[in-house]
Amino acid sequence: MEEIRVNFIVNGKSINLSADPTRTLLSVLRDELELKGAKEACGQGDCGACVVVMNDKAVNSCLVLVGQIDGAEIITVEGLAKQGSFHKLQDHFIEKWAFQCGYCTPGMLMSAYALLLNNPNPTEEEIRASIAGNLCRCTGYNMIVEAIEAFANETAQN
Amino acid sequence: MMKEFNVIGKKLAAVGGQDVVTGKAKYSPDLELPKMLVGKLLYSPHACARIIELDVSKARELDGVAAVLTAEDIPGENSYLYWYPDQPLLVSDQIRYNGDAVAIVAAENEEIATAALDAIRVVYEPLEGVFDPEQALNQGTRRVWDEKENLHSHYISEWGDVELGFAQADVIIENTYSTHYQEHAMLETESAVAYIDHDGTIVVYASTQAPHRDQIQIARALNIPEVMVREITPRIGGAFGAKDEANVQIHAALLTYATQRPVKIIRSREESIRTHVKRHPAKIKYRTGATIEGKLTAVHMVAYGDTGPYVNAGEEVMMTMSAYGAGPYYVPHARSEAYTVLTNNPICGAFRGFGVPQVTFAFERQMDELANRLRMDPLDIRLLNCIKTGQQFQPKAVVRMGDGLRACLEKASQLSGWKERIKISREPEPNLKRGWGVATSFHKVGFDKNVSDHSSAAVNMAQDGSVVVRTGASDMGQGAHTVFAQIVAEHLGLKPEHVKVIRPDTTMAGDAGASVASRVTVFSGNALIKAAETIRQTLLDIVVEETGADPELIILRNGYAYIEGEQINLRIADLAAKAYERNLPMQASGFYSMDFPEAEMPDGSSGYQHIVCYGAHVAQVLVDIETGQVTVEKIIAVHDVGQVINPKGLRGQIEGGVSMGLGYALMEELHVDQGIIQNTSLESYLIPTALDIPQIIVDVVELPEDETPYGAKSVGEPPTNITPSAIANAVADAIGKPINYLPISPESVLVAIKAASE
Repeated sequence: MEEIRVNFIVNGKSINLSADPTRTLLSVLRDELELKGAKEACGQGDCGACVVVMNDKAVNSCLVLVGQIDGAEIITVEGLAKQGSFHKLQDHFIEKWAFQCGYCTPGMLMSAYALLLNNPNPTEEEIRASIAGNLCRCTGYNMIVEAIEAFANETAQN
Repeated sequence: MMKEFNVIGKKLAAVGGQDVVTGKAKYSPDLELPKMLVGKLLYSPHACARIIELDVSKARELDGVAAVLTAEDIPGENSYLYWYPDQPLLVSDQIRYNGDAVAIVAAENEEIATAALDAIRVVYEPLEGVFDPEQALNQGTRRVWDEKENLHSHYISEWGDVELGFAQADVIIENTYSTHYQEHAMLETESAVAYIDHDGTIVVYASTQAPHRDQIQIARALNIPEVMVREITPRIGGAFGAKDEANVQIHAALLTYATQRPVKIIRSREESIRTHVKRHPAKIKYRTGATIEGKLTAVHMVAYGDTGPYVNAGEEVMMTMSAYGAGPYYVPHARSEAYTVLTNNPICGAFRGFGVPQVTFAFERQMDELANRLRMDPLDIRLLNCIKTGQQFQPKAVVRMGDGLRACLEKASQLSGWKERIKISREPEPNLKRGWGVATSFHKVGFDKNVSDHSSAAVNMAQDGSVVVRTGASDMGQGAHTVFAQIVAEHLGLKPEHVKVIRPDTTMAGDAGASVASRVTVFSGNALIKAAETIRQTLLDIVVEETGADPELIILRNGYAYIEGEQINLRIADLAAKAYERNLPMQASGFYSMDFPEAEMPDGSSGYQHIVCYGAHVAQVLVDIETGQVTVEKIIAVHDVGQVINPKGLRGQIEGGVSMGLGYALMEELHVDQGIIQNTSLESYLIPTALDIPQIIVDVVELPEDETPYGAKSVGEPPTNITPSAIANAVADAIGKPINYLPISPESVLVAIKAASE
């Protein structure tokens, strides 16, 4: 298929590239931009390991096509530390042991980021619902929920 | 009184954690090398077929294809697997399961590799497969392998006299149980990157639980000395047994050898579910005899496990089922039999628990049925029968310590409010029934006596006192490397940030044994303590030389030497510098294999003591009797761990294991039809999400064991062994009817309820 040219922003940096419009955002992030944080763990939007935030919404980047990203603002896990105080979310993940193998973690962090952007004071139910599309096989989720809660509480206090 | 440690038992952030949360952590799919090729395997569409024709010529001619290999292109042995190498790397004659590979390709990119697979011409003659493990054992059934029967092995583990035991019983309960396949569904599928180093060494980065085992098999397939193979594990995205045996790493090595270029193979999720090993489905007949007071007199178990066509870990898993058949109870007469059956179904192998979840389901349902029959409380009947220190649990083995089980049950009772549960409503709504279930199990530490099971490790101290831990033990997310850092830091009195653990590397470290069987903390931990001790002695000698102090009064702590509890002006860094000046070695290795102290068996014969860990779970569930839906409200999980090394890591392992057990009990189900898995995606094979996991209350019992690092045992598998049974018992309690098979789907609950009213 004929390539198209797209302009978009990733982690604050302007990107201009030419690609097959049916290629996925995930493959562009990993293979063109060397941002390996987002993972391909199923390739069809079932597991959430590829979640990034696009225009303030969490998306499965394996389901987003190049043809859809022109003009978009994308934040990946590599850019999370620079988003306001969200580096503390990463600290809470470490402090609360919210990961074991870590493969789901980038997607998990980005889903949490998207939730907290729009809802800085979520209930436990809302937190669980926001990461319901992020599968984790190691932790059983409760420690992840606690890490997100701890960050939300700390941020609410400030 | 619990000993006070400096690093052991304290919170410590996971090794490599900063990289995980910033996206920098490198797993094998993230590795990029110049001129790297994409590798793919061509899998058979059939479960059982003969290959009539295999023509790769068209594929080889495609632009951008660097190599296409079939069985005849393998330089060495066309077989792999560590325990029982009967699986061909590439099949040329007969397909025996739906995941058999017939060819491998390496191409410039994914698209061309896929095109190459499509260009390979294979003509199959489908054969009648063996898909029913019970029929598989009948005389007339086709053989999976011409040269042998479909019964691979039959293990019997027995002691006492079961006929006598049953004769002594006032009550006998007999049931048949069945359990199903489970898919590991680790987030990172099987993957490997292989390349040839400047000196001709084949280097393979693989997502593996056993780098040294892989090294052996790669060398065998390439027909080169083992030292010319180097396997390194980068960060691993979960395994749970799926990466115990080799999967794509040998194929990647073959392709790099053929093309002389780096090759990366990543299995897609569909390929992964289809081809890698599963948990053995089992059919278990269980007969229990007990006195009117509820004391067990005899058990007889017969378990059948369907292992698929290749034995893989099947023989070991079934041996394990027979070894654990009597449960963590005092049973004077027991006979536990296990059959390993070959079929053309998906291959089965290692999966967290390794046969123990299945057999626990059987003996724990039996205990509840017994309690029911005798109108005893289920927790009380278990307390009555708890195994004790020195009692027999295998033909030639006794448990080295037994107090842990009672302690776990009592704590679980207390934390769950078991005795007060009658005060809580059993019917919060007309269609909702509440129930409680308790379950226990146990798990050996290490394989067994007279089996190859050991660990090597090494410690190098630099001139500034910082330390490198050289280990071959894979950390697949369970936190092993963090535990190693803590053990070495504790032993040498260092701050944990001055201890670095390498990525497991067969060139850099000796064989630690595989990360399986809940063995890593004890085996690698003990090997590390031995290595660290050699260095510690050298440092102590220097303190003595410098100060004249009595060595008994010197300890190393927090980066300093202390004499009689007082910090002195000698940092460990200073001691290390002096060691180098004085030509004292600062590298040491340690080797550990388990000592099994002798024990006398009840029949007077000579046996041995085995370290065992115990656990007890209580589950509280709500069952909707109109839809059959089960909601778990709460799980209490108490584990006998000896000594906590890292409290958060421990909690993580327990909660993760509980979740895996919950999924296995309630929602995970592989649909296999004529040997072919129908649901090969995470959309159709459902594992628990954040919405499915209830409150989990975790606690531990710390009764330190001898011969273990700081008294610590293990916790990797025990939680998954127990949760499914606790949930099953809770559901049975809620609906007042037995639950004899897993998974407990809404349909099966409704069937059970309907049977109750008839």
